[in-house]
Amino acid sequence: MALQAAPQVEGAGSTPAIRALGLVKTFGALRAIDDVSFDLAPGGIYGLLGPNGSGKTTLIRLLAGLTVPSAGWAEVLGTRMPSRPNLSRIGYMTQADGVYSALTVAENARFFGAMYGVVGDEAAAGALGLVELADRRASIVGTLSGGQRRRLSLACALIHRPPVLFLDEPTVGVDPLLRVQFWSHFRALADAGTTIVVSSHVMDEADRCDELLFVRSGKVIARGTGQEIRARAGTADLEQAFLRLGGEAEVTR
Amino acid sequence: MSRRRVVALFRRVVSEIRRDRPSLALLFIAPIVITGLVTFILRESQAPQVTAVVVNLAGTRGQVVGSALGAALREGGATVSDVADEATARAAIGDKSASVGVVIGVDAASGSSLSITVITNGVDPSGEASQVSAVGRAVVAAANSASGTAIPVVRHTTVYGTPTDDPITTFAPAIVGFFAYFFVYILTGVSFLRERTGGTLERLMATPVTRGEVVIGYTLGFGLFATIQVAVLMLWALGSLQVPALGPLPSFSIGLGVAVNGSPLLAFLVVVLLAVGAVSLGIFLSTFARTELQVIQFIPIVLAPQFLLSGVLFPVSSLPSILQPIVAIMPLNYAVDGLRQVFIRGADLGVPALQLDLAVLAVVAVFFATIAALTIRRDVA
Repeated sequence: MALQAAPQVEGAGSTPAIRALGLVKTFGALRAIDDVSFDLAPGGIYGLLGPNGSGKTTLIRLLAGLTVPSAGWAEVLGTRMPSRPNLSRIGYMTQADGVYSALTVAENARFFGAMYGVVGDEAAAGALGLVELADRRASIVGTLSGGQRRRLSLACALIHRPPVLFLDEPTVGVDPLLRVQFWSHFRALADAGTTIVVSSHVMDEADRCDELLFVRSGKVIARGTGQEIRARAGTADLEQAFLRLGGEAEVTR
Repeated sequence: MSRRRVVALFRRVVSEIRRDRPSLALLFIAPIVITGLVTFILRESQAPQVTAVVVNLAGTRGQVVGSALGAALREGGATVSDVADEATARAAIGDKSASVGVVIGVDAASGSSLSITVITNGVDPSGEASQVSAVGRAVVAAANSASGTAIPVVRHTTVYGTPTDDPITTFAPAIVGFFAYFFVYILTGVSFLRERTGGTLERLMATPVTRGEVVIGYTLGFGLFATIQVAVLMLWALGSLQVPALGPLPSFSIGLGVAVNGSPLLAFLVVVLLAVGAVSLGIFLSTFARTELQVIQFIPIVLAPQFLLSGVLFPVSSLPSILQPIVAIMPLNYAVDGLRQVFIRGADLGVPALQLDLAVLAVVAVFFATIAALTIRRDVA
């Protein structure tokens, strides 16, 4: 699949939307994130790729200010994290659905809207429309299918129209049709200027990202567009590329 | 502090519980059934059947006392028979053909005056206490009639209420307090645990909401249900709505009709303060639980000691002195005392004892709310 020129290139000189500066996170003896630094320019989809347990979720939580780094720091939109006020400019779709199953679809959307300080029902309605859940507004979430819950989870992260969006494995357990829809949402948001960080352990989603960051054992081992990475590794297959660029130990484990 | 966020949290908690029918049933029906049962047991418990065997080892003098005693016991509804010796009496009590034995002998110390030994089975001390007291009453009556000497009439009196009061009067305040505490703790603990394990807390912490707002929102939400629960329970306990006879149905009354001397609103305040502390306790303890079952497993550790040490079953004053410092830090103890102050003594806000209870409950509520707020990020950070 051929990719157009990544839109983030146009903002090359501007302030990065997301910065990691020597980020380290240790849990006891384990260095879950081991000295990670990068700048991500605004308006693009950045794929964090790596096997389970490689540190993707911890990296996202550090960037989103949900956990305090052991060393280094993260900045989002020029503000050092963790910063509570800055959270209103960040959307976070957790790996678990993270929605209340006893509430209706609309109640969930309104609740998270209120948490982000969004006034009125239009924002909630808009986000639900975007994920095509408007006709299930009154349904109790517990009665929804897994895919519908995933869509609601995405809507709850979008409700306050954040300029920065973290999506932790957003397509896990999502059927192929819905997966295509999700990625077209992400693309539309990125084209409108949203900076999106998506984690995935599915390599076939990689080509939908503008740029890839390969994560292994808490380190970013490679970064570039899909084409760049393929060229560097000398293979057309991204999984092969991951192995050749240093992910071997992790993948064959 | 954003009022909008607190209101949204409050409404969310309310919507969740409102749709949780089994929990609602637990919240309202269980306390009513249990208080009803306790009241029934306390009020309708049978007078103990006394079957006495009397042994006279003191000759003619003893015979006089024995027959007077027997008459007095029969007067009190007991069955009395004479047996030859103590061994026969013990055997009768052992095989349960007799419930109490009375041995009239000569006091070994003085060598002249009579002694009366009461023998019971020893298996059920609290049940047997009533047997012993039945004999005691008979001795007083017998002494009166036998010698004609004036033994003063023994009467028991108290400062508040009367000792012959409805037994539920002292129990109702304790049970109202305990249930409010118990159910609010369970509901909050389980609910907040779901928040932690279901990924919603993680998501909540990714919004600008503060920990204080979360604790206040939860407290308002569960506080509402605690308030309704206490209102229903108090109406049930204090009410006695007479339903007139209708056709073949006899007239009956709804409610336990417990007498209350003070302001029900003041009693309400005591329970609400207790419940607010229970919300925070639930949030705090859910930090240490991984599953709903574990929240339930905290009950023996956290709630059972309070139940035992707060005068619900055993009077606080009768508890061993080594436990008294622990009693002094049990929130339920202050709630039960406060409720009794209001129910029985009719205390108002000017009574120092009630002021102390309210102050301690408020301090405990604030203390647990603070540590609950501090633990919210613990598993997240």
